[in-house]
Amino acid sequence: MREKIKEQLDLLKAKGAHYVDARWYPREDSNFLFMWNGNLKENNASSQSGMGVRVLYNGAWGFSASSDLSNPDAIFEKAFDNARIASERVTFPIRLAEKEAIVGSFTSPNQIDPFTIGLAEKVAFLQKMDSALNQPGVIQRFGMLEFVRKQIIFMDSEGSEIEKNIIEVFPSIHAMGIDKDGGMQSRKYMPGRTGPTRGWESINETDFLANAERIISELNQVLVADDAPNGKMSVILLPGIMFLQTHETIGHALELDRILGYELSFAGGSFVRLEDFGKLRYGSEKLTARANALEPNSPGSFGFDDDGVPAQDNLLIDKGILVGAITGRQMVEEANAKAKKQIFNGSSGANRASSFYRVPIERMTNINIDPGTDGSLEDIIANTKYGLVLDGDKSWSIGSNREQFHFACDIGWLVEDGQKKQVVKNPTYRGETLPFYNSLTAVGDESTWVLHYVDNCGKGAPNQIMQLGHGIPVCRFDNVQVGE
Amino acid sequence: MSNQVIDLLQKLRQSAIKRGLQALISYHEEDSYLMRFANSAISLNTNEHLISLDFIAFDGRKKASYSMIVDPTDFESMEKGLDTLAEMLPHAQPLSYDPTFPVYEKDVVDERPFDPALAALTNEERLAYFNTLAEGLESDDIKLSGFFSNGTTTTAQISTANEHTQCFRSTDAQVTAVLSSESLKWEVNAEQSAQKKSDLDAEGLHADLALLVKHYQEDQSVQLPVGKYTVVFGPAATAEIVNIMAYYGMTGAALMQGYSFLKEEDQGKRLFSEKVSLRDDPGVVEIFAQTADRFGFERKPFPLVSEGRFQAFMWDQDSADEFGKTPTGHDVSHASLVVDAGSSEINTLQALIDMEREEDILYIPYMHYMNVVNPTQGMITGSSRFGALFLKKDGSVQVPYNVRLTQKFSDFFGERVQWLSQKQVVYNVSSSYGRRDPNALKVPRFICVKEIEISHSNPSY
Repeated sequence: MREKIKEQLDLLKAKGAHYVDARWYPREDSNFLFMWNGNLKENNASSQSGMGVRVLYNGAWGFSASSDLSNPDAIFEKAFDNARIASERVTFPIRLAEKEAIVGSFTSPNQIDPFTIGLAEKVAFLQKMDSALNQPGVIQRFGMLEFVRKQIIFMDSEGSEIEKNIIEVFPSIHAMGIDKDGGMQSRKYMPGRTGPTRGWESINETDFLANAERIISELNQVLVADDAPNGKMSVILLPGIMFLQTHETIGHALELDRILGYELSFAGGSFVRLEDFGKLRYGSEKLTARANALEPNSPGSFGFDDDGVPAQDNLLIDKGILVGAITGRQMVEEANAKAKKQIFNGSSGANRASSFYRVPIERMTNINIDPGTDGSLEDIIANTKYGLVLDGDKSWSIGSNREQFHFACDIGWLVEDGQKKQVVKNPTYRGETLPFYNSLTAVGDESTWVLHYVDNCGKGAPNQIMQLGHGIPVCRFDNVQVGE
Repeated sequence: MSNQVIDLLQKLRQSAIKRGLQALISYHEEDSYLMRFANSAISLNTNEHLISLDFIAFDGRKKASYSMIVDPTDFESMEKGLDTLAEMLPHAQPLSYDPTFPVYEKDVVDERPFDPALAALTNEERLAYFNTLAEGLESDDIKLSGFFSNGTTTTAQISTANEHTQCFRSTDAQVTAVLSSESLKWEVNAEQSAQKKSDLDAEGLHADLALLVKHYQEDQSVQLPVGKYTVVFGPAATAEIVNIMAYYGMTGAALMQGYSFLKEEDQGKRLFSEKVSLRDDPGVVEIFAQTADRFGFERKPFPLVSEGRFQAFMWDQDSADEFGKTPTGHDVSHASLVVDAGSSEINTLQALIDMEREEDILYIPYMHYMNVVNPTQGMITGSSRFGALFLKKDGSVQVPYNVRLTQKFSDFFGERVQWLSQKQVVYNVSSSYGRRDPNALKVPRFICVKEIEISHSNPSY
């Protein structure tokens, strides 16, 4: 197949294509197990194979994909034809930022391939979790295990040839109960990534059992708790909600295709403008955020993006000032041209596709907040007059330009005069992005920093679900509207 | 329906039987086309041709499944999938209830929603459609975005119980066109759903966009004070709210899992405005309804809300099996929801703008990024987007910055409902995550509701 791809890359170049690439997935396997209240509701394995081809012709993209590889030439021809038609309506001819031609490979670090583990062992793990969660107060419980293993061959007309072999594991447990007012409440555990690898060995049964006990205890406190207060106060966001705050209002807001208007008809735009880079005070001096695709143990690390650009660690926000974005080869060229200056020095290596049949677009890698100097969670609580400690992503809704947001959390703890007090239920908060991040008054140290995975980030048309990560410390924001 | 599909299913059935499997075999084929626009150019032009197979094996209370996106000529890989399934099944943990194994009593072929002309739509026609809808409306500052997605979806099922097959084929198109000001960042849109080529109406979208652009260019923009407003919802907002309400509130699974804002004893009670009736109606072809569910259950109109009275929960087969209920033909990827028309003659945006009014009215055509804040309270939140208007009682029009609503379903469809349009509109809610699965609702053009609380109002576009 590689020879056939090379032949077609040359052929389309000869026909006038400016650039061509192909992503051939010889095989992608996944395995999904879902146990609800002791019943193994999903016991699924799956596989897929196929190829996607992208052609740049006269400043426009065409893409075609098929699972039918009996005639791969047809996929290239169709992609070329799609580009030819697209070139009839071009306002800014697409150019690609320079990159080196790379012949290389990437293998995600793992010790134990989860596909070598028998189904019986995986089911036994879920049964143990189910038993651990089956406690008083819990009326619904479930555990999930998802495993992915994919081989991707990337080849382009600039001479790159990259093979990626990636394994991911996504385990979680959830417990639900009915509160004193008849409302459904829930707590969940999705383990942070602590080890250097991301295979089956990263699922630590002892850790899961300890956290099952913790979430049941917290759930039972929520079930008898009063509602969270309304009003303006400090919120101390644990990584279990701060990762989503970061995801929605830093990550998505700084995707360069959104900033340039390429997502307006679906996901939305961004309040950030090109002239903001290097100037905009996004947050307080305590805020430093980065896109770090070099974390070894996260699905946001992939070796090379689907432009064939190596993964990188880049600052996005430096001590509160906006300095970078999540970029691919196409968008940085357009942004620099539109800004009439060089804002971006090449692609940041964040152009990714969710499968062979989707086109690469700017996606988050690991969008992290650097640890701060405000000590442990206990230290931050001790320095808080009045507010809430919040955890758990129950609900999220964000303005179309990421300019404002509303979050609901699974659990809150009241803080009064530096003391963590009783649990409260149904906590919500909302805000406007820039004022919110400028009210960041405390960032926890490394002891509070957790690398969370996200396995369901949606974007694009056609839609794509992407996996990524967020390394996040505890953060405190002041004067936040709570309880609407 | 292609004989090749039936032949493949029959062949796979024999392979499953040879392996001693009691199995349901499902086929999904999509031929998808999407032309995407941004910054007044075609930003992407794609097509995908994908064939998926799903095998579900049953052994008493044990179940296992195998899914694949596969080369249709690669029968060996399909057989390997069946081999994997046969290996998985013995290790499956038995369920605590008896799952139903599907046995089809007859052959079903439903191609009502298939239109050969829409299936054969060309790249040139998609481009011409967009050129027409945007003609004369773009400028250096006003840019066109959007997408034209169309495709053909073929699904078919067979079980090892017998040789009967169920086959469905549909065509669909979903169009979204956005015009936005690059400098001011306002956005207006027009959308359309099509099941056949003759549904496509680029001129109609052009008229909708032209009207909104005129108001956004000429009328004063305003940050609305938070508080209660009489709100007229457009079809996009109504369809999305109804869709979420039905999914989270009106399924047997949501009831038994404790998520629903409705309770079993609510059946038969008047919980909504008597002006509101909602049903799942497989007879409405333009919303891509199927006549039979995955278990061969013949689907019939299923009232969910009749003149404000909640009627019944929808039970899929697995939930019915688990909780000892009778399935209602809802083992489908989505219900086919229809909200009955009302009596108001306000059926166009121009008529809404021109209507005499005794109070200010906030028109919200579209809700962005809705999510469920509290499922058991039926509380959702989301922001207005794409062409909201503030219709002052003195007849003037202002353009409001986006606002946030955090309200309960009973706030939207309860006693505060004032009127519903006589005209119904098909609104396409298809998601293109994963497999192509056309889905639309039929809803009144407008629904007017008083005392909707605005909890946040943007200070600018």
